[in-house]
Amino acid sequence: MKGISFGQYYPSDSMLHRMDPRAKVVLAVLYIVCTFLCNNVLAFAALLLSALLLVCMSRIPLRLILRSIRPLLLIIALTSFINVFMTKGEQLLTPADWRIQIYAEGVWNAVFMVLRIMVLIIGTGIFLTYTTTPLALTDALELLLSPLKKIHVPVHDFAMMMSIALRFIPTLSEETEKIMNAQKARGANFTTGGLLQRAKALIPILIPLFVSAIGRAFELASAMECRCYHGDEGRTRMRVLKFQASDALAIVLVTLFGVGLFFLNRLGIGYTRIS
Amino acid sequence: MDKIYLDHVSFVYSAGTPFEQKALDDVCLGIRAGCLTGIIGHTGSGKSTMMQLLNGLAKPTSGRVLLDGDDINATLEGVFDEWSKRQEYQHLSKSAAKKAIKRELLDKKRVLCFRVGLVMQYPEYQLFEETVYKDIAYGPRNMGLSEEEIHERVYEAAAFAGVDQAWMEKSPFDLSGGQKRRVALAGVIAMRPEVLVLDEPGAGLDPQGRNAIFDGIVHYQKTTGSTVLIVSHSMEDMARFCDDVVVLSQAKVVYHGTCKEVFAHVDELSAIGLDIPQITQLMLLLKERGLPVPSNVYTLEDAVRALQFLV
Repeated sequence: MKGISFGQYYPSDSMLHRMDPRAKVVLAVLYIVCTFLCNNVLAFAALLLSALLLVCMSRIPLRLILRSIRPLLLIIALTSFINVFMTKGEQLLTPADWRIQIYAEGVWNAVFMVLRIMVLIIGTGIFLTYTTTPLALTDALELLLSPLKKIHVPVHDFAMMMSIALRFIPTLSEETEKIMNAQKARGANFTTGGLLQRAKALIPILIPLFVSAIGRAFELASAMECRCYHGDEGRTRMRVLKFQASDALAIVLVTLFGVGLFFLNRLGIGYTRIS
Repeated sequence: MDKIYLDHVSFVYSAGTPFEQKALDDVCLGIRAGCLTGIIGHTGSGKSTMMQLLNGLAKPTSGRVLLDGDDINATLEGVFDEWSKRQEYQHLSKSAAKKAIKRELLDKKRVLCFRVGLVMQYPEYQLFEETVYKDIAYGPRNMGLSEEEIHERVYEAAAFAGVDQAWMEKSPFDLSGGQKRRVALAGVIAMRPEVLVLDEPGAGLDPQGRNAIFDGIVHYQKTTGSTVLIVSHSMEDMARFCDDVVVLSQAKVVYHGTCKEVFAHVDELSAIGLDIPQITQLMLLLKERGLPVPSNVYTLEDAVRALQFLV
């Protein structure tokens, strides 16, 4: 459907959805640091628990989140494969005369790696893509990066370009579909023929698409100028972001969680990852 | 026989998801051959979906779309038992007949978009060639016709649609909006479709541009005797040009009949948010004030005649 399934944003009304997007960007970074702090079984158990808690809090179907891991399965499989076979440790699992030697440490490392990547994806997904609209995310990044304006980085302009691009993705995809249908109605064939023929068959779609996209860009520029758009200086926002106490609290909590993980590592219970 | 028949057609968008939406709900509708039929309805009443079903761009979720009595979405499994009894397939072995029928179905599918010409809303946005001539020739070229035949068809279609001969070597992007629309119309007419389906052909044009487009459509219909369907929400255009009118509302056909029959339901039409032609409203108001005018006047010409009769 139009514009609904764009990106991964999943509309809902959870605590995480209502959070300030700036806080969510900070939280996502903190959470990534947390995943890298973990080094032993206990810490990983805590991390996994926190990820599950986040999923519950975001009210996003678990099925949907697991689906986002699917494209990365190959990378996960590859890293665990390398970890299992390449880690040298002390506890040998395979008979000593085998050419391939697998150590218990390698298996542990592989398990940790898989957990780490999965929690990384789930965490960033829940803090950013699933609960934050792309536009809110652009706003948040603009505000978080605004100190860079001091050294003349045009942060606002980049953010504006980004928002406009995001805004026009559904429009353009709808337009492509319309033009494709119109050309199909005139007997266009996009599915058969050699590579060259198929590339040629795209011309009747691409030319009208570019013509209208460029026309639209000029119209948009005129419309913005008519409404006296002049960039960053003195511009107010329609969606004013409010940083609330709960946002600060969340950041504090995640920081404390990170500190907790650090100490769990020090406890030295169970296997501790060696590098 | 009806040229097109929709047999219990339903169409559901995004079936099985939370965004499920019924665009057509168990619609049965016959379109008379050789007539100009108007389809009226609100935005979201299922008009545009219905158009796309007619040339196979979209397939009905359930039901059949019949063109000259043949299901346009027929599958091998669906037609095999019936067709294999035909003379041309009778003597063939089962597998050979299957192959032959499959080929016939594929051929039929391929020519369907040439038999049912579809002119989308704002068709000028589909122009892409360097010259007007080449753009009109795109459809006929896809049909695999010879150069002479293409040439003949391009000039014939240009004449129907009111495309000036002088534009032929111009770039379509240098023309005005109304001129582009005529070129796009010619591009579809050049395929000589038996059925011409148009979505809001007059939208966004000035009165002259509108008239030029509608004149072209009527000229094509009268000369070739083809069946024409016009989707619109302009009651004035419907009353002026159409023989039959179909009224769609909330995915169902509410009225279907001649202009006079349909526009007689003044109150019901306004209840579903559609207006009767302004000239009819005027006549009804005059009648209310006590003037002895007929209430079934739908075009300007008829109104003038009725009023002259009074004087």
